[in-house]
Amino acid sequence: MKKAAYSFPEEVLEHVFSFIISDKDRSSISLVCKSWYEIERWCRRKVFVGNCYAVSPPILIKRFPELRSVTLKGKPHFADFNLVPEGWGGFACPWIRAMAGAYPWLEEIRLKRMVVSDESLEIIAKSFRNFKVLVLSSCEGFTTEGLAAIAANCRNLRELDLRESEVEDLSGRWLSDFPDSYTSLESLNISCLGNEVNLLALERLVSRCPNLKTLRLNRAVPLDRLPNLLRGAPQLAELGTGAYTSEMRPDVFSNLAEAFAGCKQLKTLSGFWDVLPSYLPAVYPICSQLISLNLSYATVQSPELIKLVSLCEKLQKLWVLDYIEDDGLEVLAASCKDLRELRVFPSDPFGLEPNVALTEQGLVSVSEGCPKLQSVLYFCRQMSNAALNTIARNRPNLTRFRLCIIEPRSPDYLTLQPLDDGFGAIVEHCKDLRRLSLSGLLTDRVFEYIGTYGKKLEMLSVAFAGDSDLGLHHVLSGCDNLRKLEIRDCPFGDKALLANAAKLETMRSLWMSSCSVSFGACKVLGQKMPRLNVEVMDESGPPDSRPESSPVEKLYVYRTVAGPRLDMPGFVWTMDDDSALRIS
Amino acid sequence: MEEMVMATLDLITASPHSSSSSSSSPTTDNNNNHPSSSSSSSSSLCLSSISTRRTDLSTDLRLGLSLSPSHYSTPSREQRSSFDWPPVKSTLRCTLVEKSQISLFVKVYMEGIPIGRKLNLLAHHNYHALVKALANMFRTTILCPDSHQLPLISGNNVHVLTYEDQEGDWMMVGDVPWEMFLTSVKKLKITRADRC
Repeated sequence: MKKAAYSFPEEVLEHVFSFIISDKDRSSISLVCKSWYEIERWCRRKVFVGNCYAVSPPILIKRFPELRSVTLKGKPHFADFNLVPEGWGGFACPWIRAMAGAYPWLEEIRLKRMVVSDESLEIIAKSFRNFKVLVLSSCEGFTTEGLAAIAANCRNLRELDLRESEVEDLSGRWLSDFPDSYTSLESLNISCLGNEVNLLALERLVSRCPNLKTLRLNRAVPLDRLPNLLRGAPQLAELGTGAYTSEMRPDVFSNLAEAFAGCKQLKTLSGFWDVLPSYLPAVYPICSQLISLNLSYATVQSPELIKLVSLCEKLQKLWVLDYIEDDGLEVLAASCKDLRELRVFPSDPFGLEPNVALTEQGLVSVSEGCPKLQSVLYFCRQMSNAALNTIARNRPNLTRFRLCIIEPRSPDYLTLQPLDDGFGAIVEHCKDLRRLSLSGLLTDRVFEYIGTYGKKLEMLSVAFAGDSDLGLHHVLSGCDNLRKLEIRDCPFGDKALLANAAKLETMRSLWMSSCSVSFGACKVLGQKMPRLNVEVMDESGPPDSRPESSPVEKLYVYRTVAGPRLDMPGFVWTMDDDSALRIS
Repeated sequence: MEEMVMATLDLITASPHSSSSSSSSPTTDNNNNHPSSSSSSSSSLCLSSISTRRTDLSTDLRLGLSLSPSHYSTPSREQRSSFDWPPVKSTLRCTLVEKSQISLFVKVYMEGIPIGRKLNLLAHHNYHALVKALANMFRTTILCPDSHQLPLISGNNVHVLTYEDQEGDWMMVGDVPWEMFLTSVKKLKITRADRC
């Protein structure tokens, strides 16, 4: 009976394993015993690599010879805010070359924050017969020529999603490269493209693909062409409009309203650049069916936003500018009881004075009125411990809480105290909190709270906070599930980092910029921890041209089984065992 | 390594405030987040030369420079009207900035044509969009500054884009980050490629 587990034929185990999809579970299975490891690795079809430098293509291919779907992430998150200099890395090419040789049956490639060249896109287009899904999220380095190669060659393509990528838009002609016989498109997101696409080609493509469910247009698609597109795809579930403005003509409006009303399955709306408020009512007929609304580009005022939002009773996700104001958020709280996620972006991020009546009260209202609220991203100009406390008590089910008080080091505006207690309440009451971003005036105490209560916390973002190494030490020693820590402009230095070096091997990555970590400490860390890559970034010259005690500009530490990377630009140095710095 | 870890741990727990200012209550700064008052609170590790360098940087628009570390000083308003705070992604940032700035019209001349045009630079987000708009406006081919094409220049219908900067010098468009270009450009000139 002891050997019962070993007496199952492989096929049976493989069949059982096919029901296990989550990466974590798959990992657990592979650790049971050698034979399970073997069976699992041969039948693994999908892999997620959170840091492309944590592992190398040969290692991946050797372990998983039969993949159909690969997801890779490159640059650290702070690259979104221009903190990672150009040329840093995250090159997709070596991965794509390797996969082209090893996985002829690969169907899906998803890349985030990686540098992708036209050559790579051409390789994808020509190497994978059954290629179905290409998602390039916040990527860069390619042009519309690369897209033309994909369009022309991928006969079975289902999804082409370029969300937030930087594409060199040479010509809108590439869309015409989808052959007339191609009809399998299900999802197209070209919202990031700067220039016009060939509109006729787009209309023909949309109308001949009966399974098209997601269409996100770019700003250059004029509003008066939208009705035609919608009529060609009445089965659409997700739509991103182009510029939402046009000469005010009655026929344009009625055409548009009719076309929207015809899309009975439409559940998600986005786009809305350059909104002309008088055209917004065209979407009113479908508001009651919407579950997701992204108005981050809609620069319209509160009354229009209120009217729109109050009609969306099924809304689960709302992204909006702070034009919505506290009043609008109160209406949201009263109308949208199913709301799960709210993001409020600043309409005037660099302005000195508040330009809108949006304060902490708006968020408090939503926390009171929306029982399912789990995910918050909120930009505002004032906050209080009392408000944070209320929010925490109202919504213990929060899993993601990101607050950005625009002016760094702003205290509680009522008491002028630090906001330690308020954020402390958040981590204490929201026991399932996985992601947290801090802002405002904060001392080491907030980190003590986070270390004590943030047991499920996986990602923490910190800026302009803390007093000493003790703060960093609390987080690294207390947060058992911490995977990603990103810090900028905090007085954290060598002590906490070195004292918690072992913790870094349990995390995906640590980013520290404009802190007080010395070059000497980075060298020590790199030498003592061979399974970490300790990368120092300094654009003003090699760090060893300055004293060991001088602080490094940027530090990026991540665990890896692939050793130091070989594709670093001149301003990045790895601190490793040889302790020989490669100086460009 | 263990000894070092234990030793540093002792250092941390024994004197948590040794390198910090928490004894001087942070609230004494109150709501005055002026750079000088914050930097004074950590004098033991302050690097005065770096903070002076930062105050020298002042910009109207965002510069594409990488700023040196701030070291406890809250960036001033000019410094922070930069590209890395508040943490808003560039696509949104560009759209919003566009809304707040109305226009930056500059004169554009093409070599050989006496009458010039005017173009709103803020209507474009990058060099590529600008070059494309000008190529359309003047019906010619303009070599894109970012492209890696080796110019095979023959004939007189290929041009490059140049600009006059605040100092009166004529420069090739494309060498500096877009935002920096916007602060220094005074006028544009489309010149024949074989002349450069």
